[in-house]
Amino acid sequence: MINTWYIIAQILGVITIGFEFASYQIKDKTKYFLITGIGSFFWMLMFFAIGVSTGMGTQLSLIVAAIYSTIRNIVFWRIFSKNTPESKEAGLNFLLAMIVIAIVAGVFTVLNAPEQVRWLHILGLVVALGFVIGQYLPGVHYVRIAVVFYAIVVMLTQTPINILYGDFRWNIMGILIETAKIASVVIFYVRYSSQPKQAQLVFAKP
Amino acid sequence: MFQVISDSGCDFTKDEAKDISIVPFYISFDQKNHLKEGIDISLEDYFQRLVSEKNVFPKTAQPSPQDYIDAFKPHLEAGRDIISVTISSKFSGSYNSATLAADMLKEEYPNRIIKILDSLNGSVGQGLVLREIIKMQNAGYNLQKTVKLAEEIIKTTRLYFTVDNLEYLKRGGRIGPTTALVGGLLGLRPILQVENGQVSQLDNVRGKKNALKLIQEAMVNALQDEPQNVNISIGHILSEQEAVDFKTKTEAALGIKIANPITEVGAAIGSHAGPGALAFAYCKKYNAIEGDAAA
Repeated sequence: MINTWYIIAQILGVITIGFEFASYQIKDKTKYFLITGIGSFFWMLMFFAIGVSTGMGTQLSLIVAAIYSTIRNIVFWRIFSKNTPESKEAGLNFLLAMIVIAIVAGVFTVLNAPEQVRWLHILGLVVALGFVIGQYLPGVHYVRIAVVFYAIVVMLTQTPINILYGDFRWNIMGILIETAKIASVVIFYVRYSSQPKQAQLVFAKP
Repeated sequence: MFQVISDSGCDFTKDEAKDISIVPFYISFDQKNHLKEGIDISLEDYFQRLVSEKNVFPKTAQPSPQDYIDAFKPHLEAGRDIISVTISSKFSGSYNSATLAADMLKEEYPNRIIKILDSLNGSVGQGLVLREIIKMQNAGYNLQKTVKLAEEIIKTTRLYFTVDNLEYLKRGGRIGPTTALVGGLLGLRPILQVENGQVSQLDNVRGKKNALKLIQEAMVNALQDEPQNVNISIGHILSEQEAVDFKTKTEAALGIKIANPITEVGAAIGSHAGPGALAFAYCKKYNAIEGDAAA
């Protein structure tokens, strides 16, 4: 039976799709982090709503990942918008602390996940770390390649492979969000390949 | 008639330095003994020591006003005016020392002119300004005209560099220890520029090869409209072959010959950049600026 929390989760998912799709069309890192950070916030709310609806046990690691994503994206946004050696240093220290906390929390949730889905959550931890590194790396490509792998694994967590209880074993909205990210990356590259090649680095004329 | 003087931030080769007077920076490994750059210690020895002694944190210090007085006086005595070019006043106190020295000598030599020019640059960027001044001197330009054009050349001078190792930027306080650690693990190479006399980071790319490729593309894009009107200079720290390769490729891409010799980047910039660093600079030639003004 569809309950209220499940419907709320779908609404939050639609909002997430909008922000996530938009973020992977943006080349400028500062704007990308702001938009994807807002998207992560709604993403986290959606997992919480799904957890209330279908059981918190299978959603806990995703809620932790989404909280972590939201904070990380907002910190990255601040680092890149300030762009000073001091802001980078402070932001990186914060992020390294967050990575340690995320690994500890990730291991904890993996251990607490039902045995039959544990492999998926371990894979999730690995691709999430890969995505964080991809976000930090310069240029437009690493983050987009990393997010595709991340999206595939998160997508699997929204299927009966991971959702084990009750009537609702598919989180369609969760799948759509990840599909939107992959679609956004594909559209970005279609646009990118049709645009005249722009230099990554521009030097001033003498 | 005027004499051209510069601090050692210009990174001239020994051959080039014969035509002008160089006022050296000081290098200290122990904060007690101060060695004159290029005189008491060669650049090769300095950088080899920087590489081999991991716990050594050398400091550079600007020439004192007295050093400038000692450099200026013989030329003033000989009846020559002076143009003195310094490294950016935002990097070092060399400009202040030179200005103080000029003020102190004013009373003693009231009929002589000492013009201090802040290059707002360093290393091969400062060297280019100096080379154009020497060319104007050789072409018979007087001091006033030379200074006026040199001030315009300074505005057109651009310097970009990349480093091989983030350790030296960390030692110099330009980046923090975490940034150096994470950047090192991820193989990041910053591309830095000198803008308005200050160093800032322009981009961050993965791998030195990639950094050099992007720098070359950006340089060619910036200069391809009028390559014959620009003067280009390349410097390195213990990385001569990479500098030679870069020069050859740039010459082929722009269809010009880079006349300036490849130089070694000195201690003033080098202690922050470290071995493996490469620096690239360009400016408008003095006659191109004259041509622009006439048009």
